[in-house]
Amino acid sequence: MSAILEARSLTRTLAGPKPVHLVRDVSLTIERGAFTTIVGPSGCGKSSLLYLLGLIDRPDSGELLFDGREVSALSGDERASIRLARFGFVFQFHFLLPEFSALENVMLPMQRLGRLDRDGARSRALELLTAVGLGEKSANTPDRLSGGERQRVAIARALANDPVLILGDEPTGDLDSRNSARVIEDLRALAHEGGRAVACVTHDPGIAEISDVQIEMLDGRIEKIIDRRARLPAA
Amino acid sequence: MIGRAGFLVTIALRHLARRRRQTAVAVSGVAVGVGFFLAVSALMVGSQNDFIEQLIDAAPHIIISDELRSPSPQPGVRVFGKGAVALHGYKVRNEVRGIKDWQAIVSAANSVSGAVASPSLTGGVTLRLGGHDEAIGIVGVEPEIEKKISTIEDKLRVGHLHDLETTQGGIIIAEDLAKRLGVQVGDIVAATSSSSSGRSMRVVGLFKKGQTQLSSGTGYVLLREAQSLLGRPFIINRIGVKLADPYAAEAVAARLESRFGYKAESWQERSADFLSLLVTRNVIMYSVVSAILLVASFGIYTVVSNNVSDKRRDIAIMRSIGFSEGDLQFIFVVEGLVLAIIGVLFGWLLGYGLMTILGSLRFPIGGDVERIPLDRSARQYAIAALVSFLAGSLAAWLPARKAARVDPVDILRGAV
Repeated sequence: MSAILEARSLTRTLAGPKPVHLVRDVSLTIERGAFTTIVGPSGCGKSSLLYLLGLIDRPDSGELLFDGREVSALSGDERASIRLARFGFVFQFHFLLPEFSALENVMLPMQRLGRLDRDGARSRALELLTAVGLGEKSANTPDRLSGGERQRVAIARALANDPVLILGDEPTGDLDSRNSARVIEDLRALAHEGGRAVACVTHDPGIAEISDVQIEMLDGRIEKIIDRRARLPAA
Repeated sequence: MIGRAGFLVTIALRHLARRRRQTAVAVSGVAVGVGFFLAVSALMVGSQNDFIEQLIDAAPHIIISDELRSPSPQPGVRVFGKGAVALHGYKVRNEVRGIKDWQAIVSAANSVSGAVASPSLTGGVTLRLGGHDEAIGIVGVEPEIEKKISTIEDKLRVGHLHDLETTQGGIIIAEDLAKRLGVQVGDIVAATSSSSSGRSMRVVGLFKKGQTQLSSGTGYVLLREAQSLLGRPFIINRIGVKLADPYAAEAVAARLESRFGYKAESWQERSADFLSLLVTRNVIMYSVVSAILLVASFGIYTVVSNNVSDKRRDIAIMRSIGFSEGDLQFIFVVEGLVLAIIGVLFGWLLGYGLMTILGSLRFPIGGDVERIPLDRSARQYAIAALVSFLAGSLAAWLPARKAARVDPVDILRGAV
């Protein structure tokens, strides 16, 4: 499987009288078709690493290659357009826009990208919502959806522009176990069946155990990488 | 591109719709500002236009008199002007006062397209009735021509200008002068001047009091009547010129003056003090009223600023899914602009309503009950809208810049 994202010695430090080393000298690759988890205790820098990988934050040093291209030095607008067209994000809290219906929230990235017209975006959004089992509730605003439903809308939104990389920041952190299992199944399916790369930060060992690649962090560094695919027969 | 802008505008509108009361307050701030701007400027501009109109119409646009701005050189100076010898104490030639060759000036003035020149003779006479004397300036005119260059005909309460021609020795005087003398139309008064014996004049018309240029000390008679009364046969000492375009008066006056030498005074020159007063008045009005509009834009600043603070989380979401800084700034500037647009629309309605109320009021002005002059031109509406849009976008731009600079990482870290 091909590497979509490659990090080389990424370092991120919060400046201040007492500098905080969020991420220290992290090198890793995220591959297509794999469900990768980043685990570790609170404050180990896993979310910070995810923001760096998602081009939301900039590293202080190190290189980040997306599709073989150095992206850490790009301008804010260039990075935004990569996020828009190629990445999908699912956060711990649903992070839907409260003024918009589920359908409109899913349409948002498509309308911003402008690849589809309004009707095209609408029908694709409906398809995506149907795929996560929310076709019936597409007109509901976020306050009329349950926590699990909102998170599924967020996943549908993350898929809007058919991204090659999906990043999750504790996507199940706010959900009960039943909803949590459903969301994880969806994410795994996206990696295994859709040929996308999926990387999630989680503190749930149960989720980490079923991931293909498990990256364990401690104190801003990578402690250990467990690649379970190696033990499986070649798929 | 248009599709994307429209979609960003939708986001802005949703934000505003979410906070109706706050939006309504900001909108009404702008509306009140625009409404009062319109009412006040309609009053100010209206009264100014009315005033200028009166200045223009009260007297001919250009008055050529038999005066010279500098004394004409005496024959001796004219001949030896550049000689080495300075001349003093030479005999000054006496000249008959009056405009020489006035027919040439009248025909020159008439050759300007749309212009009419009316020759007249002015001088002082004393009207006497019983033991009562009133010194007045009389103006001898050709009624048919004078009618075309002045509004005197409209200012007559009784009689007509052409009555001067149909009545032997007719005179038109101000109604308050008639009251002082105790005469009415058809009555006879005695008129004397310094250079003639007295003769009897019959009052044929009265003009209203309180007009700018027609003081109670003016009387209108026939031109030849004035010439004989003042003992100055065939003399003209004043030519009034009315132009098709009153604002060309300065240029035409300068041309006539340089060609014929006689003082040609445009209405602008005559009213320079009034006109400069109007400029001051406009500066005061526009600064006060613009301040109202600016203050209204503070409301817009507050709303947009609040929305930016409320929506920091949403801003972070949009930024992380790939909206650019420019998109975010655009959304919030649009919010300000939408408030300004709605405010301006309501303000136009309010202003229109205020103008209608003001326009329906009647005030006693100059003895007559008149409506307040109002300027209802579209220009005022456009100025109010333009200033509000500018102030509104600026007021929204400041917080919008803050929105664009929200770092999604800060919000995401805080939320997790």
